[in-house]
Amino acid sequence: MGEHLDKHTLKNGMIILGEPMEAVKSVAFNFMLPAGAAVLAEGFCGAGNVIADWIFRGAGNKNSRQLNDALDGLGIHRAESIGSSHITIGAVLESDNLAQALDLYADIIQKPRLEKDQFELAKQLAIEEVHALDDEPRHKVMLKLREQFYPHPLGRSTFGNLDELKNLTAEKTQEIVKNNFNLSQTIFSVAGKYDFNAVCRQMEEKFETRNSKFEIPTPPAFGPGESAYGHIDEDCAQVHIGIMTGTVTPASNDYYNMRMAVSVLSGGMSARLFTEVREKRGLCYAIGARYHGLKDAAGIMCYAGTTPDKAQETLDCVISEFNRLGEGIGEEEIERAKVGLKSVLILQSESSSSRAGSIGYDYYMLGRVRSLDEINDKIESTFVDSVLDFLRKNKFKDFTVVTIGPKELTTR
Amino acid sequence: MTESMEFKEKRLANGLDLIGEVNESAKSAAVGFFVRTGSRDETEQINGASHFLEHMLFKGTERLDAFEVNKAFDGTGAQFNAFTSEENTVYYAAVLPEYVIEVTKLWIELMRPALREEDFGIEKNVIKEEIAMYKDTPSFDVMDRCRTLHFGSHPCGNSVLGSEKSIDGLTVEQMRDYFARRYVPANIMFACAGNLDWDQICSTLEEACLKWQGCVTGRKLEHFQGSKKKERIERSNLVCEHICLISPCVSFQDNARFAASLLSIIIGDSVGSRFFWELVDKAIAEAATMQYSPMDGTGVMYSYIRCSSKNVSKVFDIVGDIFHSLSAEGITQEELQKAKNKVLSALVIKNELPMGRLVDLGFNWIYLKEYRTIEDDIEAVKAVNIDEVNSLIKQFKPGDFTQFTIGPASNG
Repeated sequence: MGEHLDKHTLKNGMIILGEPMEAVKSVAFNFMLPAGAAVLAEGFCGAGNVIADWIFRGAGNKNSRQLNDALDGLGIHRAESIGSSHITIGAVLESDNLAQALDLYADIIQKPRLEKDQFELAKQLAIEEVHALDDEPRHKVMLKLREQFYPHPLGRSTFGNLDELKNLTAEKTQEIVKNNFNLSQTIFSVAGKYDFNAVCRQMEEKFETRNSKFEIPTPPAFGPGESAYGHIDEDCAQVHIGIMTGTVTPASNDYYNMRMAVSVLSGGMSARLFTEVREKRGLCYAIGARYHGLKDAAGIMCYAGTTPDKAQETLDCVISEFNRLGEGIGEEEIERAKVGLKSVLILQSESSSSRAGSIGYDYYMLGRVRSLDEINDKIESTFVDSVLDFLRKNKFKDFTVVTIGPKELTTR
Repeated sequence: MTESMEFKEKRLANGLDLIGEVNESAKSAAVGFFVRTGSRDETEQINGASHFLEHMLFKGTERLDAFEVNKAFDGTGAQFNAFTSEENTVYYAAVLPEYVIEVTKLWIELMRPALREEDFGIEKNVIKEEIAMYKDTPSFDVMDRCRTLHFGSHPCGNSVLGSEKSIDGLTVEQMRDYFARRYVPANIMFACAGNLDWDQICSTLEEACLKWQGCVTGRKLEHFQGSKKKERIERSNLVCEHICLISPCVSFQDNARFAASLLSIIIGDSVGSRFFWELVDKAIAEAATMQYSPMDGTGVMYSYIRCSSKNVSKVFDIVGDIFHSLSAEGITQEELQKAKNKVLSALVIKNELPMGRLVDLGFNWIYLKEYRTIEDDIEAVKAVNIDEVNSLIKQFKPGDFTQFTIGPASNG
C-alpha cells in the first residue's frame, strides 16, 4: 500500500522508527519505556502509574507549572499509558512544533525532577484512581480478568494494588525510573509529517549515550492456562462478566488464523456473539470479544454485561459459542472477516497516532514492523480450512471467568 | 489539506438536503444521515423513543431482516454505528472508497424501517440492559441526572435513554407514529466526506429518497437559564463522590460558541486548566473536567469532578474560588493563547480523518445551514479575544450552577 518505514538506531541503542504520511499535517510519537507493570519487582504494583504522573511534575530547568505550560503552548495532546511490558509516553501535535516537543520530552524522560513533595501528590492520585475503578465495574472486571488469567506477574494490574501503592516511597520509585528508563531498550516511534534525518539528529543530540546497567527482567514464560472462576459480590445493576481463554501470541505462525477466528466470533454485528447473545436473545447491550496479546502469553477476552436474571444464560451462551466455533465456519463468514480486518487496517492508516502506536507495538512484539501489504497478504492467505485446522489444534479448553455483581454464577 | 477539498450541496424536491466535502487524497470516506430528532422532541409518555428507534433501524426493512442488515454492513468492512443525543440521531459509516455507494444504499434503505412488533419486543430487553449498564457507570449517570435537574420542565431535560418504566410502557404504534412525524425529508440531512464520487452518490440518493414524504415538524426553541437546584443521591456500592455541575451558555447558533469552547478549556481541560492546577495537580480530586455543549437555541457547560468523600467540601470551596476569581478578574492572555493552541491542534488532528470531518460538516449544516471549511473554524478560534471570553463569564456566571452528586452513604 506504498507506505515507507524509516529506521535508525541511536548510539545509546534506542530504536527510532518512523512512518511518513503524506496527507497529514499532524505528527504523533511514542516512547515505549521498559517499565510496565509486569517487569517491576514484587511489592511495587502501581508504581508505573505514579511514575507516569510524577515525571511531568517538573523536568530539566522547568518546574511543574513551567513544563506543563510549555507542553500546552505547543498544543500537544498527551497520552500516557501503562501496559504489562512498557510505560508508553505519547503525544500528537501539529508537525511544526515537533522539534520543540522532542526537546521537552528528552528532559521529561532523562531529567525528571522527581521532587519528594510532588511524589506524594502523584501517589495520592494513583491511589484515588484505584478507588475510582471500584465505581466502574465494567472496567474493573477486565483488569481482574487479566490478573487471574495470566501467570503472575504478566497480568498484574496496571492501576496498582492499594497496599503496595500506600507503601511506595519516593526513593524506591526514583530507583525504578533510573533503572527502567533504560534507553537501550526504549523504542521511539513517530508517524505523520516529519523529517526523519532531523528527528534522528535531534534524538542523537538530546538523548545521552549512557546506559543503565540494570537488566530488565524477562517475565516468566507462559504456563498452561488455569480454568478458574472469581466473583466479586457487589450491589450493582448488572452482573459484569469477563471471560478469557488462552491462544497464540503475536509472533505465532497461526496468528492470522486466530485473528480470523476471533473475527468470526466477534468481528462485527453479523458475527456470532452479537447475533446469538444480543440479536436473537436480547440478553445484553454490551457484548464482544477481542484478542489480547502479550509477548509471551495471549488470550481472547470477552465482556458481557447483563442483569442478574439473565447472567447465567449469558455466560452459558457465550461459552457455547466459543466451543461451537471449531465445529464449522461458513465461507461467507470468513469473507466478511477478511474484508473487516483489511478495512480496519486502511482506516487506521489515516491516523498518525494509530500508526505510531502500531509500528512501535510490532517492533516490540516481532522485532520488525510489518508492512500493510504483508498483513493484507497474510489475511488473504487464510481460509475456512486453515482457521478450522487452527481451532482443532488449539481447542478452547479452559476458561477463566470473573464476575462482578449481585449474583454468583456457575461455570461448567 | 483543504486545498484539495471541494464542497457540494443539493436539496431534493422533497426538502432532503445532501451535502458533501470531497477529498480525493483521502484513503477512506465517511457517510451519514443526520436526523434532527432526539429526546427533547419526545413527550413524557414516549421518553426514550428516539434512542430506541435508532436501535430499531438496524432491525431491518420489509426486504431485509436484522441479520441480513448486519451481514450487508460487515460485507463492506464499514465501521458503522449510530448515536442519539437530546436533539440529533446520527447514523454513520467510515468505509473504503470502493464500498461508499453500497453503504450509502444500505443506509437509505434502513431509513425506511419495518419496525416489526417482534423485533421491538426483543430490542426492548437490549435497551433495558443499556439503561442498567449506565446505572453502573456513575460518571455517566450523574451527568444525565444533572441535566434533568438543570433543565427541569424544559424538554432538553428529557433523558436520552428513557427510564425502565417509560421503555416498558412504549408501544410499537407509538414508535411508528413518532417515526412518521420525525423522519420526514426536511428533518433529515445526508452528509459525506472524503474520497468519493459526489455525482454518483447524489444520483443514488435522488433516485431512492425522492419518494420520502411527510411534512416538516418543528421544534420549540427556548433558551433556558437552568434550575440552579442542588441534589445528592446515595448508592451503597460506591466509593467515590461523583459531582456534576451545569451552567447555561450560548447556543450552537451563536458566534460566541468559539469563545465558549475556549473558556471550557481554560477552566476544565484535563491538563493545564484551572481545575487541573487547583484540584487534580494537588490530588484533591482525581478527575475534574469541563466541557461546553452547544445545542439548538441553548447551550450548557458541564463539569464532572470525581473525588473521595472526605474531600467533597474542600472541592466545593476550591470550585467556588475558581469561579469567583474568574468573575472578579477574568482570564489571562496566556491562558487564552494556550487554550487556542490546544483547540487548533485538536481541530487539525480530528479533521484528518474523513469520519472526524463528517461530524463537523454535518453539525454545521444541521445547526447553521452553513458550510464551514476547517480554515473558517481555525480563523474563528484565532479571532477570539479576551474580552469576548470575559463577557461570557459575566453574562452566564458559570459559578451559578445546577449541581447533582452521587456518592456513597454518608457516615451517620
